[in-house]
Amino acid sequence: MHFSPLPYLDPGSGSLIIQIIIAVLLGLGVALRASWGKIKGLFGIKPKADDDDTDGDSN
Amino acid sequence: MATPTDGQLPASFRDPSGFLFSRNGILYRQINRAYTEDYARLMDSGLYEKLVKAGLLIPHGETDQAPAESEAAFKVIQPERAPFISYPYEWSFSQLKDAALATLSIHKRALKLGMSLKDASAYNIQFVRGKATLIDTLSFEVYKKGEPWTAYKQFCQHFLAPLALMSYRDVRLSQLLRVYIDGVPLDLASELLPFKTKFNFGLLTHIHIHAGSQKRYADKTVGPRKGMMSQQAMIGLIESLESTIKKLTWTPAGTEWGAYYEATNYSDSAFEHKKQLVREWTAEKNPNLVWDLGGNTGVFSREAATSGAFTVSFDIDPAAVEQNYQVVKKNKEQNLLPLVLDLTNPSPSIGWDHAERDSFGQRGPADMALALAVIHHLAISNNVPLPQLAQFFAARAKWLVIEFVPKSDSQVKRLLSSRKDIFPTYTRDGFEAAFLQYFKIHKAEPVRDSERMLYLMETQ
Repeated sequence: MHFSPLPYLDPGSGSLIIQIIIAVLLGLGVALRASWGKIKGLFGIKPKADDDDTDGDSN
Repeated sequence: MATPTDGQLPASFRDPSGFLFSRNGILYRQINRAYTEDYARLMDSGLYEKLVKAGLLIPHGETDQAPAESEAAFKVIQPERAPFISYPYEWSFSQLKDAALATLSIHKRALKLGMSLKDASAYNIQFVRGKATLIDTLSFEVYKKGEPWTAYKQFCQHFLAPLALMSYRDVRLSQLLRVYIDGVPLDLASELLPFKTKFNFGLLTHIHIHAGSQKRYADKTVGPRKGMMSQQAMIGLIESLESTIKKLTWTPAGTEWGAYYEATNYSDSAFEHKKQLVREWTAEKNPNLVWDLGGNTGVFSREAATSGAFTVSFDIDPAAVEQNYQVVKKNKEQNLLPLVLDLTNPSPSIGWDHAERDSFGQRGPADMALALAVIHHLAISNNVPLPQLAQFFAARAKWLVIEFVPKSDSQVKRLLSSRKDIFPTYTRDGFEAAFLQYFKIHKAEPVRDSERMLYLMETQ
């Protein structure tokens, strides 16, 4: 795995590989959701507000 | 709280970005030149301000203090000090869960502003003003497109694995964190979790398959593969961890919310009288830091906290601590911290050179300690002689509010019903004689409608 610069903690080979596999799959979901949002947008349906954009408490 | 001796703090040595040091009792953080770009991005991107405003990051100020090691130094900052440092093996289920969700929320917010959280250690989170807050200002790095999350393994070990074990197996498994300082090894978590967790997508992937992958690639290095993980994939990963954790729950079995004090033997008036005395005595002595030892769900801790003191409410029962924390959250209480602690075997110092995480004793002394309805458990159930108990409490705080529960009390009778009474000195006189070796007794009040006594003592 190439890092620039290298991390100070070893992220672990097995952890990195599985992370990328899982994340690529999940990323597809995020992409699909985004396109679906755009399609809904064409029909005037507004997306839900992302709670991380609010500065309220998260816990 | 104890003032650390001057010099670098022993808990802060791994990250080359900088370290904590203490000078004249004030806590500083040196930032090294290697971290210049990342620090500038944190401050200039608006991320620092956004996180501090949300209560997710400890605020700091920049100072003119000379660095502790000038060769590598770029800057010295003075972070706000957390009122009491606690560790994940002392947290209830929901405290660990909130710390996990805060970590993910910080990483998500960082990504939006071109940064990433480079480590996800549970020890970087502390409860400040009642909320899980990141205390390591140097945990951020500029996000490089295409790179995976370096802290993924650490996050799974520090948060996801213990939470899943607590939720699916037994809440006491949080104590594994006391043995494994870098979090629960995933192969161990995978082995201990029930089979049905393999049907939970999040736990299947982030724990079971993750553990298998670690084993498979244990002694292999992975060649350079740049740009493998898009930002979208990163967000997918974070959201998956977030939803997996949100779905983990724990409801104490066999305990009824709010029913704790119903099992006690004293009347409402005795209870109210005790509350009143605790409130009056804390107001009179005006302590900054109070430790309620055996605090149960925190009823008396709250009386102490009304004086404005920061009150840590320790109890052995994870269910009581969980309920206490739920009240803190509901009422947005800022100066009360519930923690799980077994007084007969308190948290030791752990980590490198026994110095990374302080023991319970090292994090004191407090200004005042409360020991209410606890002495009979220590003296009778745990066989600790009264002089040793007095010595123990004398080392904890300057002021002590302690309740003596005599043998005639039904709670003590119950403890003695199935064992030999080997405690001839366990009397009011024996108790006072033992404690007078270490304390001056300022007040001794009989608790109304009971046979108990409440004392206010000062260490000599």
